[in-house]
Parts: sequence; structure tokens; C-alpha cells
Amino acid sequence: MRTRLMALTLGLLAGTSPLLLAHHSFSAEYDANQPVKVTGVVTKVEWQNPHIWFFVDVKDDQGKVTNWGFSAGPPGVLQRRGISRNAMKTGDVIVVEGFRARDGSNNASGGKVTFPDGRSVFTASNEDKAPK
Amino acid sequence: MLNVQKFAAGLAPLLVIALAATLNAQSKPGARIPRLADGKPDFTGMWDNPKEPGARGAATVFDKAKMAPFVPGGEALFYEPRTGDPRHDEPRAFCMPSGFPSAFLGPYPVQLIQTPQHLVMSTEFMNVTRIIPLDGRPHKTDIEPTFYGEPIGRWEGDTLVIEARNYKRWSLDDWYYQNPKEYRMHSDAFHTIERLRRIDANTIAYEFTVDDPKIFTRPWSVQWEMKRHPEWDTTGLYEMVCNENNRCEGGKCREGK
Repeated sequence: MRTRLMALTLGLLAGTSPLLLAHHSFSAEYDANQPVKVTGVVTKVEWQNPHIWFFVDVKDDQGKVTNWGFSAGPPGVLQRRGISRNAMKTGDVIVVEGFRARDGSNNASGGKVTFPDGRSVFTASNEDKAPK
Repeated sequence: MLNVQKFAAGLAPLLVIALAATLNAQSKPGARIPRLADGKPDFTGMWDNPKEPGARGAATVFDKAKMAPFVPGGEALFYEPRTGDPRHDEPRAFCMPSGFPSAFLGPYPVQLIQTPQHLVMSTEFMNVTRIIPLDGRPHKTDIEPTFYGEPIGRWEGDTLVIEARNYKRWSLDDWYYQNPKEYRMHSDAFHTIERLRRIDANTIAYEFTVDDPKIFTRPWSVQWEMKRHPEWDTTGLYEMVCNENNRCEGGKCREGK
């Protein structure tokens, strides 16, 4: 199914960010061979440990809306990086790039968020692979 | 006799140079380091995790080239195959502990708080805290082994030596995050020796020695550094509670908006 706003790209990962210490292994939960890039509207932000999650409604060509969940860095790590819980709000239209969950669900790691004004926020955890 | 005097006179500058080199190896000349009222170096502050001097990334795995040879049977104890069971292969994905030293080696700040009696060493990663008595007391002989062991400190001049024992068998480092086939484990005979020296206002020389006689023929060491980050003082460590919202525990994501 071709989608207008959601583009899933399968292929080999170009980035080779080292896997560092996490409370989980990136490779156990996400598939670095399944990059995902979506554009949608933020429906919820969970600013919680061990990783923040944010959810995005993504509409396809037929108008069907799918809600995607994205995992990012721990709140403390992001805060030290200068990214506060106010960086992303419900209703924001964002582009998210990351890697799909291995279990096939509509979840992914969300390493990079871009806002309509072009601002780009690196939301990946220290240990997660991030899209280049 | 004259020759001896000449020889001694010629030797003196060399001795001065050698002495200066020795002192330099212990602490930088003229380096001002904070001290407690009892005169001991004060390690209190916010620090980056221990890592190779100049390294960009965290020291999450030990360099195999620096390890001692295996004792007979040691290699089988050291490398443990992964089984496919996430509870065995990814215990931290279920919020199980990383253990020591692994928990302190990631890219997260470490806060040190020192009193004459204790050094408190706390990392933001999972908010793991070691409370280390500094009186050199003997290790206990009748306690259950733990993930973080029983650390006890003592002073050797300006060097704080922390020896820890009573570890349970657990992963040594993050090797199992890099190699899909195996863990690297320490045994229940694991014994660690940390030597901390504050060599200038912003640097701790941190030598880490692994002594595991069930696995290695002799102790082996790595030389790390910790760098001071005063800009983290105002915020301190942030809370990190693993069970709060562990949505993709063990690789199965929980649905829900």
C-alpha cells in the first residue's frame, strides 16, 4: 500500500552509531534494517522513564489514520541536552525518523524529530541508533 | 674518590629528573585539588563516567587485549551463549540490574559525595548508588553475593583504593549488546580494585583492576579517567526509574495511546 504521508523505507542502515549502555539492547527491541519515516500530528507525549514516548496520528492515501508510538531518550538525558518536555506538544505536526519495533507493531524508536519550521531535534537515546 | 664525587655530581640531576617524573605520575606539579578538613583529597562533584583518556564514547566493554589469559575452564565461564530467552539474554530489558562496574560505564553522569567516613558514588543510570566505607574494614564472609558487590575503601596517601568482593555471577560488561551470540560474565570469585587519584582540579585518574581467579590467570587492569563537569552541579542527577514506562519490555511493545 502506497501511502502519502507515511513512507516506510526498508534497507540497510547507513548509520553505525555505537551501542552504548541502555536499560535494554536497541537491537533486541528495534530493527535497524527497518527505518521508518512518518509525518503526522502528535497525539500524546509520555515524558517518563526509562525512555520518553510520543504518539503520532499518521493518515494514509485513503484517509485512514494510524497511531504510531515512538520511543526516544530518557527524560534526564534529553533535559541535559537542552530538550525539555515542552519541546513537543499535542497537536504539533512533526516528521519522525527512526526504526520499527521488532514485534511488528506500530511502534518504533524515534531518533530524529523535525518541526514545520525546519527545527530538528535529536531525540534518540544515547545508546540508540539514530537516522543520519 | 674524586671520580666518585664527579659521578655523584653527575647523577644528581638525573635523580632530580627521575623524582620529578615520579611526582608527575602521581599528581600534576602545582595542581590544586580540593581537600576535606582531614587533608584527604575530596572527590565530591559531578563527573563524567570513567573512560579511556580522550575517548569520545563510553567504556562499555573491556578491551580483550588487556585481559589476562584464561585459567583452564575460565573461557567457558567467561563466555556464556545467549539462549533466545529474553529474560536470560536481555535481563536489563526487564529492568534487572546492570551490576558493577557495568552500570557506571555508560554515558551517564556520576555524582561523588565524600565525607571522612564514606564515599557515595551514584550514577544517573538507574540511580544506582554505592555507599563505600573508607575505613578499610574487612569484607564480610557470611553475606549473600550481590549484583554490586561489597565495596570498601582505604587511603594509600592521596590515592583512594576501593576493593569490592561478594559479587554474584553476572555480566561483566556490555559485550552482549554488541555480540548477538554471547555474554561476557564474571564469576562469583570476582574481585575489583579501583584506584582513584585526583590529578588536577578536573580529572580523576581511575585505574580499574579485574581479579577473577576462576576465569583469569592473574589480575589485569585498565587505566581510565573521570572528568569533572561543574555545569551539571545545578541540576545534579535526574531520576531514572526503569519500571515507570517500560513499554517494549523484552521486545514486546505494549499498545496504547
